[in-house]
Amino acid sequence: MTSTLPAPAATGEKAARRPRHPYLTALATARGRTGLALVGLVVLAGLLAPLLAGHPPTDQSGLTLAPVGTPGHPLGTDDLGRDLLSRLLYGIRADLGIIAAAVPLGAALGCLLALAAAAHPAADTAVQRLFDLILAFPGLILALAVTAALGPGRLPVVLVIALAEIPVFGRLLRTGILAQRGREYVTAARVGGSSGRRILTRHVLPNAADPLVVQIAVSLTVAVFLEGAMSFLGVGVRPPEPTLGAVLSQSMPHLAQAPHFAAGPLVTVTALVLGLSLVAEALNREIRR
Amino acid sequence: MRGLLLRKLPSALLVLFAASVLVFGVLRLVPGDPAAVLAGPDAGPEVLAAVRARLGLDDPLPVQYLDWIGGLLTGDLGPSYVIGGETADLITDGLGATTELTLGALLFAVLIGGTLGILGATARRPWTRGAVRSLTTAALAVPPYVSGVLLVLLFAVLLGVLPPGGRVPLLTAPDLGVQYLLLPALCLALPSAAVLGRYLEDSLRRALAEDHVRTATAAGIAPRRILWRHALPHALPPVVTLLGIQTGHLLGGAVLVEAIFAWPGLGQLAEQALVRRDYPVVQDLLLLLVAVFVLVQLLSDLVHARLDPRIRWE
Repeated sequence: MTSTLPAPAATGEKAARRPRHPYLTALATARGRTGLALVGLVVLAGLLAPLLAGHPPTDQSGLTLAPVGTPGHPLGTDDLGRDLLSRLLYGIRADLGIIAAAVPLGAALGCLLALAAAAHPAADTAVQRLFDLILAFPGLILALAVTAALGPGRLPVVLVIALAEIPVFGRLLRTGILAQRGREYVTAARVGGSSGRRILTRHVLPNAADPLVVQIAVSLTVAVFLEGAMSFLGVGVRPPEPTLGAVLSQSMPHLAQAPHFAAGPLVTVTALVLGLSLVAEALNREIRR
Repeated sequence: MRGLLLRKLPSALLVLFAASVLVFGVLRLVPGDPAAVLAGPDAGPEVLAAVRARLGLDDPLPVQYLDWIGGLLTGDLGPSYVIGGETADLITDGLGATTELTLGALLFAVLIGGTLGILGATARRPWTRGAVRSLTTAALAVPPYVSGVLLVLLFAVLLGVLPPGGRVPLLTAPDLGVQYLLLPALCLALPSAAVLGRYLEDSLRRALAEDHVRTATAAGIAPRRILWRHALPHALPPVVTLLGIQTGHLLGGAVLVEAIFAWPGLGQLAEQALVRRDYPVVQDLLLLLVAVFVLVQLLSDLVHARLDPRIRWE
């Protein structure tokens, strides 16, 4: 990052005094901005759902499968006469709630297990086997197993996503800790008399954290995917509550007569997932430099 | 090779055993009496007792577990009480449909991924490479149910050339069967095709930069022949390994794609058994799916070791 060209005076001096955090640099790239804008739009729509939606999402009107642009129903209505705009907005809200609870939960549990694994070789073996066991159930099979025990609903969806994320984050952090612990600066800190806890929190963890940040963005897309997949399998959030996946899966039998039924969630899921992927890729590129 | 198998096999078996205990335990935790579900709401106590005895629900848990595992190992899965018929027959039928779908998707993944990979590695124009890049990014990012709905909208609703769902077995009516197979197989293949394409592009680009390729170019061999005879064989081994891993992903993804396209495979059977609370079938299926997944992972480890000797001594 050494530049021989003199930087523009005003911003250059500031930058020299306080170098910008690499995450911010990453998010300021074209890729990062586009991603943030897409995600931001979807999040905003979800947050403002009560203001933007003209009807409650489960209210049934007499109009079934009304087309786009019907007075009072800008996106039309579904097969039960419910307003599609409000089902879309509240669906976004439900999805955001689920992924915002599930991904941090899975990440936190995975990281805790990785820290436990770092403490003792015996714990390491146990934790590794636990991760192997969870990974033996591919995402959707895990969803079927959990709902076999708990029945469909919002909590099982959160649980499935969190469970699926535990080994992902756990393995990432474990590898990171192991790699950093072998570095010379850690040996230097130990020789300098730092306590084990201080070495872990001040030196090892900050340096092992970068991949985790990228993984959060990736995991959010996996969470959107799992929520929708569970709705399609009939084991997701219980109807009549809307989610993006639920509205999309309800639209399947009506695609021939009413393709607009699927349009809202299709566009939204694509925007959300593409946005998150772009953010993840931007972060990844900046961190790997 | 044998050393690797000896090292990997115990941990795979351990995972399988733990998974079987987990599946067994989880289904015993389910609130409600499976016998009551089976016998229906009007059943009297003596009917309930008869159903319990038939299911072996009065035996101690370890005996029930061993009975179950013994049945699985000898292929005697017993009758399915809710869906009807022999569980083994249900699973065989579903397995046939799922295998057909997975193989179709594998073929698509290789064709599309191969084309994208070769195009991306050999294209001179930057915009061709950019287009390949965007295609793979989109195919990776978009969930299968989004691409599934789009495929149905395009080919079944707008163009009306392919059926939106259902299955005709390929072996009984090949011409009709292919029409039903195309959309689900394509939908299932997209993410794997993108991963394969990216890998192949990267690997092929490295192979094309090697000395022997430059020598061949200097000797005046036609570029097409260089690609197929000199560069591609060098680029393939890592891609073949990846193909094994992707087969595992395809099996997992098949559960979802079956739900989108009403494809009567194992995933649909699992969903049906779950909704109708046919717990013995759920139990057998979950373990079977996990076993297949673990087996595919083990196989791809072995193939990797076969192709890359360094792995064997790790």
